[in-house]
Amino acid sequence: MIELAAHEERLALFAEGIAGRYFHIKPSGDFAGRAFSLAADQSALTSDTLFLPEHLDGPDPTAYRVLALQQLGHREFGSFTFDFAMALTRVPGLTDHEVPTLSGRASDFERFYHQFALPALISRLLHLCERVRVDALLVRRYPGIRRHLRRFRAHLLERQPPAAVDSLNGAVHALRCRALGADSAALTTLDATGLLAPALAVLDDLDQAPGDVYASAAAAARLYAQLSPLADATAPGEILLLDEELAEPGNWLQREARLTDWRDELAALDASLAVEQLHGDDVSAADSDGLTDGQMRPDDLALKAMQDDRDTLARRIDMERSAIRDALGADTPDARSFRYDEWDYQQRRYLPRWCRLFESRLAPDPEADLAKLQAVIRTHRPGVQKPLEQIRPLGYQRVFRQADGDELDFNAVIAARQDVRAGQSPDDRVYSRRDRIHRDVCAAFLVDLSASTDDAVDGEAGEGERRIIDVQREAMLVMSAALEQLGDSYGVYGFSGYGRDCVDFFVAKEPAEPFRPGTLAAIAGMKPKRSTRMGPAIRHAVGKLQASGNALRVLLIISDGFPQDCDYGPDRGDHEYGVQDTARALREAHDKGVETFCITVDRSGHDYLKRMCPESRYLVIEEVEDLPAQLSKVYEALTA
Amino acid sequence: MKPSGTPSGNQPSERQGSAQLRDEPYYLPLADEIDVFEAAYDARLPVLLKGPTGCGKTRFVEHMTWRLYRKRAASEVEFPLVTISCHEDLTATDMVGRFLLRGDDTVWSDGPLTRAVRTGAICYLDEIVEARKDTTVLIHSLTDHRRLLAIDKTGELLSAHPNFLLVISYNPGYQSVLKDLKPSTRQRFVSLTFDYPDVAREAEIIGHESGVDAAMAERLAVIGEKVRNLSQHGFEEGVSTRLLIYTGELIGRGIEPRRAAEIAVVHAVSDDAMVQQAIADIVDTVLP
Repeated sequence: MIELAAHEERLALFAEGIAGRYFHIKPSGDFAGRAFSLAADQSALTSDTLFLPEHLDGPDPTAYRVLALQQLGHREFGSFTFDFAMALTRVPGLTDHEVPTLSGRASDFERFYHQFALPALISRLLHLCERVRVDALLVRRYPGIRRHLRRFRAHLLERQPPAAVDSLNGAVHALRCRALGADSAALTTLDATGLLAPALAVLDDLDQAPGDVYASAAAAARLYAQLSPLADATAPGEILLLDEELAEPGNWLQREARLTDWRDELAALDASLAVEQLHGDDVSAADSDGLTDGQMRPDDLALKAMQDDRDTLARRIDMERSAIRDALGADTPDARSFRYDEWDYQQRRYLPRWCRLFESRLAPDPEADLAKLQAVIRTHRPGVQKPLEQIRPLGYQRVFRQADGDELDFNAVIAARQDVRAGQSPDDRVYSRRDRIHRDVCAAFLVDLSASTDDAVDGEAGEGERRIIDVQREAMLVMSAALEQLGDSYGVYGFSGYGRDCVDFFVAKEPAEPFRPGTLAAIAGMKPKRSTRMGPAIRHAVGKLQASGNALRVLLIISDGFPQDCDYGPDRGDHEYGVQDTARALREAHDKGVETFCITVDRSGHDYLKRMCPESRYLVIEEVEDLPAQLSKVYEALTA
Repeated sequence: MKPSGTPSGNQPSERQGSAQLRDEPYYLPLADEIDVFEAAYDARLPVLLKGPTGCGKTRFVEHMTWRLYRKRAASEVEFPLVTISCHEDLTATDMVGRFLLRGDDTVWSDGPLTRAVRTGAICYLDEIVEARKDTTVLIHSLTDHRRLLAIDKTGELLSAHPNFLLVISYNPGYQSVLKDLKPSTRQRFVSLTFDYPDVAREAEIIGHESGVDAAMAERLAVIGEKVRNLSQHGFEEGVSTRLLIYTGELIGRGIEPRRAAEIAVVHAVSDDAMVQQAIADIVDTVLP
């Protein structure tokens, strides 16, 4: 068995390269939709996540790549853009029968299936045809996948070898074997129905000329016509059972794709409305002559009808979006996910890829008053600026006796001439040059955004009380402004989350980004959220610092209490597990050349901080309001 | 002290070997850039080329120089293109010139910019933002109506030759924010933006430059397209057309295609082992 966890990161990069956008990679068992569940061995691609089997029975790890590419292939080659109206024109013999049992929002696939007496059978055949079509297109577009696909198919075929064909299910299984690469001639020898050979020819044709999703639909309809005579001998429930697993994800994914079309339609209606309204404004009031009270001009009536259509469509989109979100699970398209090991101090071992961390941008606070934020910066600046002034700024200094430079170094020239006159070989380093002195520092500020930062500074909550988060935010605002002047590169991050599968890591500013008014609004957007799982957040921030390429890398963690999460250790009441994992993460950072420092506003911080890091690497702030000035002193001490 | 045109060993790197440009350098136009550059040259408007590394900016300048100085025969200058690859230690002195010790004498040696200004060549400052700030200020007087170069060490105020044109390039994508071009410099140039060509045109370029057949050229172009999707993972430059051409050249010399791509693409664009593996997977999937 091959484990997904070991290949997740690589697969995520591969998928991003192929598709041109990021997808989370998750085990099928983590599918959180409510309308259906994914089988453990099933794969699916939603708008933001590629679900793959957690354990895969395959010949080698490239089988995961094949599965990923097949799912991406459905997107690339338009499986879910299936439109029933188009199918009516493209699939010979297909007619639109009214199906009263179908809901108005049924997927276009469902509408297609229900044009046939056995929807389960046509659904199964369409899935088979799509597998053949998409695989054929993948091999043409990505020829290198052919050998891996062949190996994986052979492996699957070994697990489910061809069998005697004496029923509808037997015939469908034979077609599936053909889709896995079994030889058509060999399959025909197993056929007792006499119907298999022409059905296999349909798949062969599709393989040779794959076309679009309607080519699959037409092929499926042909197969249906060929095989449906066998249906009487088959228990219909059996096919139906097989069908549900296949059909449900497809139906919802098609509805998701259809939503995009509806949004385009809405945008077009909005544009037409705008044009009509402009036109309406131009029409003079004289046009209203001859209308009695309460009567509307024909133009106004048309405009109103258009407006009604637009509102109906907008409502439909909202309802459909909510239904899809419910069916497929909430999406996080703007986040990236990462897996991190966790240190289990009780077992004295790492739990591999135990935590999933979601990195996303910190949403700027739309109500942030920039003038007020600037005022905060001005208030605290003197206290923060003073320690940083001790740090030598960027600049140039002239260095002498250089082999190359912008000025002759006359002392060196004279010395060289003396040497020549004395018959000795002269030193040819006769130039001087202005060299840049620059600080090669990258700092990351990691701010704890746990729910407890909502507590009042003096412990008594009340209207208008200053909370811990307010002071943390202000400290970050002031430090950012000060560091901007110093010229150091720095990142500002927040972290929180709930549970090992949902560690949130928020980015207010990356080191490579300039400081903008938006940065202020993003820092102002730091809000108390949920728990404090520090280990993965530290590991992630350390990764960012390492990627910065700077010589001196510093991580400052600002928190208000001990590490804590709902499943941070076997016993929720025991905080030692979290403390030990955080201590381990800090040690890992040190081993990777990152200087760390923890600052807490929790007065009882000594108890656990001394178990997490050396005494010289933490600070307990008695007065929360001192945070900005203390932070600045720590920064100066770490980087000067 | 006397002026001298002799190049110095300490001067910045100049690609003079090919700068005579007797033969037409291959260039596949992507839009109207040839017409725009010709019009800019005729009006002697300085040109700024923006775009990622290896997308063809330098080749474009070479091609345009050939068109203007050889095809049109506008000038018989021996080296019509002076290219200066800028780096963070490049100073104004390196570009303008310096005094050298020769025997008991101190002699002046023109830098490449001064030579281009005197002879009426095109001076191409590649990756200008890499150079120190004093170099960008130096070019200001050359890029407005004055067309003057002040050489403060010799006291000379040099008027540019009528054929002289300044062209600069930079890549706004990967440069640090601290290395952005100042507006006072940027607004002295007309700006042409370059990007990697689409798959079909990149395949044509790869095929022409490396000699691989059309099918392999298209495969390499698809690799380029897919690998660029990963460019934010530590290699903001993406994979350049140049590297894809190198891959084609290695294949043309008998190296197995996957191995050639491994050498020229996978290991060249990133040092991150995971990213390398993912790129290798893409290469393995795209190549037949």
